Amino acid sequence: MTASQALPLPTQQGNGLRLENISKHFSSSGADSQLQVLDNVQLDIAPGEFITIVGASGCGKSTLLRLILGLDEEFDGQILLDEKPIKGTGLERGIVFQDHRLFPWLTVEQNVAVGLKNAPLTPAQKRETVREHIALVGLQDFTESYPHQISGGMAQRVAIARGLVNRPSVLLLDEPFGALDALTRTRLQRELQNIWQQEKITMVHVTHDVDEAVYLGDRVVVMQPHPGRIRRIVDIDLPRPRNRSDAKFIALRDDVLSDFAELA
Amino acid sequence: MARATATALDRQQAPAKKLAPVERLPNFPARPARRVSIKTAPRPVWQKRVLNGALPWLLPLALLGLWYLGTERGWLSEQVLPPPAFVYQTLGDLISTGDLWLNASASLQRVLVGFLIGSGLGVSLGLVMGLSKTVEDYLLPTFNALVQIPVLGWMPFALLLFGIGEPLKYVLIAHAALVPVTLCTLQAFHQVPKRLLEVGRAYGFSQRQIVTDIVLPSAVAPIFTGLRLGFTKAWLSLVVVELLASSEGLGYLIAYGRQLFQLDLVMAAVVVVGTVGLLIDRGFEFIERRLNKGRAATPGRLA
Amino acid sequence: MSSLASTQTPRANNYRGWVVPAVGVAVWWLAANQGWSDSGLLVSPQKVGITAWDQVSSGQFWRAISSSMARNLSGFFIGTTLGLILGCLLGFSRLFERLVGPSFNTFKQISLFAWIPLISVWFGLGDVAKVVFLSLAALVPVVVNACDGLRNVPPAFLEVAKVYGFSRWQTVIGVMLPAALPSIFTGIYLALVYSWLATIGAEYLLVSGDGIGNTLIDGSEHFMMDLVLFGMVIIGLVGWALNVLARRLERRMQRLYGITPR
Repeated sequence: MTASQALPLPTQQGNGLRLENISKHFSSSGADSQLQVLDNVQLDIAPGEFITIVGASGCGKSTLLRLILGLDEEFDGQILLDEKPIKGTGLERGIVFQDHRLFPWLTVEQNVAVGLKNAPLTPAQKRETVREHIALVGLQDFTESYPHQISGGMAQRVAIARGLVNRPSVLLLDEPFGALDALTRTRLQRELQNIWQQEKITMVHVTHDVDEAVYLGDRVVVMQPHPGRIRRIVDIDLPRPRNRSDAKFIALRDDVLSDFAELA
Repeated sequence: MARATATALDRQQAPAKKLAPVERLPNFPARPARRVSIKTAPRPVWQKRVLNGALPWLLPLALLGLWYLGTERGWLSEQVLPPPAFVYQTLGDLISTGDLWLNASASLQRVLVGFLIGSGLGVSLGLVMGLSKTVEDYLLPTFNALVQIPVLGWMPFALLLFGIGEPLKYVLIAHAALVPVTLCTLQAFHQVPKRLLEVGRAYGFSQRQIVTDIVLPSAVAPIFTGLRLGFTKAWLSLVVVELLASSEGLGYLIAYGRQLFQLDLVMAAVVVVGTVGLLIDRGFEFIERRLNKGRAATPGRLA
Repeated sequence: MSSLASTQTPRANNYRGWVVPAVGVAVWWLAANQGWSDSGLLVSPQKVGITAWDQVSSGQFWRAISSSMARNLSGFFIGTTLGLILGCLLGFSRLFERLVGPSFNTFKQISLFAWIPLISVWFGLGDVAKVVFLSLAALVPVVVNACDGLRNVPPAFLEVAKVYGFSRWQTVIGVMLPAALPSIFTGIYLALVYSWLATIGAEYLLVSGDGIGNTLIDGSEHFMMDLVLFGMVIIGLVGWALNVLARRLERRMQRLYGITPR
């Protein structure tokens, strides 16, 4: 399936994300000094694109995600979704957190349903969508289980289902596989890719794992800290499914890694 | 309920389900108008601090005001609720006649003696039980059973044995302190992180070294928490014991005032009791915080 | 000295616990029956047993225990209900917490027993006063724990609620309360235990009426050690039963939330 390469999908889908001149600073109370967390970040994300953002700790990538999500509204610049500036949180932007943040008192099915809490659907429609998405992540046998009864990888898949259940225009992922072991991580990366190809949703995936970033993304945005800004953007011009042993893959990965060797 | 393992389902053969071409959900209706926070210039910090600091005083001041009004307008008789000025005056009297000091020092002395005895015994008992499982097996069940009876439950028994004198109070206060101190000390020994013990064993520490170098240092903080708890309980039982069976002390003042229907005396004494207890507790807290610097909080859990 | 790594079999443990009490009772029996001391206080175990039987069969015991328990439970229910309301208010509203919180914290530092004289003047010495006192005793832990639970809802969950557009009401009911439920229940169990402890004290200090505490006082006033011992055992048993009940319920709740019991 080659349609998912760097070619952007037609804009009639209307879910292109644009970040214009995003700057943010933390001013610690009392002190005069300000910590510049993000400095003039500019990014244009085409509809249906899979963007990975890679950077060391402290480069502001998670902060950037929170700004796009709307959890944080204090910043300079504009974030436009489908040419309209975003205002606070909204169901058209979904999120998968690093800690799955499933409510421990709800079953898997109920947890996914949380995403549809305020959606204008009938209960029957909600149930249908929830079931679909649980099946999408392959957990249909665990709908009645509680979060503490399933493994970390499975919990994260539930979180992905919850993020997708209300069909957002953009799905944000904040180091979603960071807390998992390497084997589960590889499997889930593949699953995420399949889901993305299925749903054709724009995805913004933050990670500190360069390998993951090159494996998943159409473009890799490399960020550097102090203050956080975009160092460069690397086009990953490889067909999917990608082969980690492919020479071109390795070359691209080493290219991105080289950025970090310098920063060390 | 068995913990399902990832391998069971993370099969490669579980592909993402093929769904129908994506139909976007209809545009969500406009959200109800969110309360717009107009970004006015933020209040200067000092103003916020003053406001914040003032709030806790509103309720007490309001109550005080009501109290004053109530007594002025004669809503309640003086015996039921004396005017605040009266209480204040009584407090002043107590201080000036030296009565306060007399009674307070009697109370403090009692609680100190009782607490020292009780916590000394408690730490020793907890130490012995913590270090030797054998001893713990023999003693802990009996201890736990005796703990079920509250201090007040022991009081008639102790009364019969010791009569009404000072030993009664020492014994009861010591008992009140002993229970939490012992339990916390025991817990402190049980709570030594296993991984640290394993490090000790890996490096060939002798039994004695393990105790002195690993167990004891990590036990200090929980033991201190136990001491603090023990003191709180000791102070509490002091008040009760003095209420019931003493001829001087702060609790005695309360009982005396009540017998003579001098509620002003009662309230003044209550204020003093509360203040002293608070001060000493703060002292403990300060030391505890110093001890706990740089370690994760491990609360001792008492039944 | 086997220290902290036990190599004992569980079987041995169980028997060991009984050694000290068994020896203790044996010594007591000997002392009483051989007349080691001629103090009237040295009552033999048999005497205690006989007194116990008397108390139970004459119905005195039942009257006493039911009075005590009735008061205990009334105080517990009233105190818990009020405590939940107050605790929730403190937990939900920052303003309310600033207004009332510090005063409440000061209030709870003062031994509850210090309030008895005031209570006795305002409410007399009877059941009403006792129930008021017990309600206070139950109220404190409920408020503290409920407020604590509500204030410590993990911000992670609150962010999830915000992301999915939960209204304030939905957040409270759907996220804050469920997350705080373990703490709230801890407060309720503590209230159960504390109100029982307070029951005895109330009976000592507000001496009219009947109850187990009064039985004890009777015993001590009339120098009847056997009655005193009987009362103590009963108090211990009830306290123990309540503790076990509380701990079992707590464990159930923790299992539901997947918290591994400490």
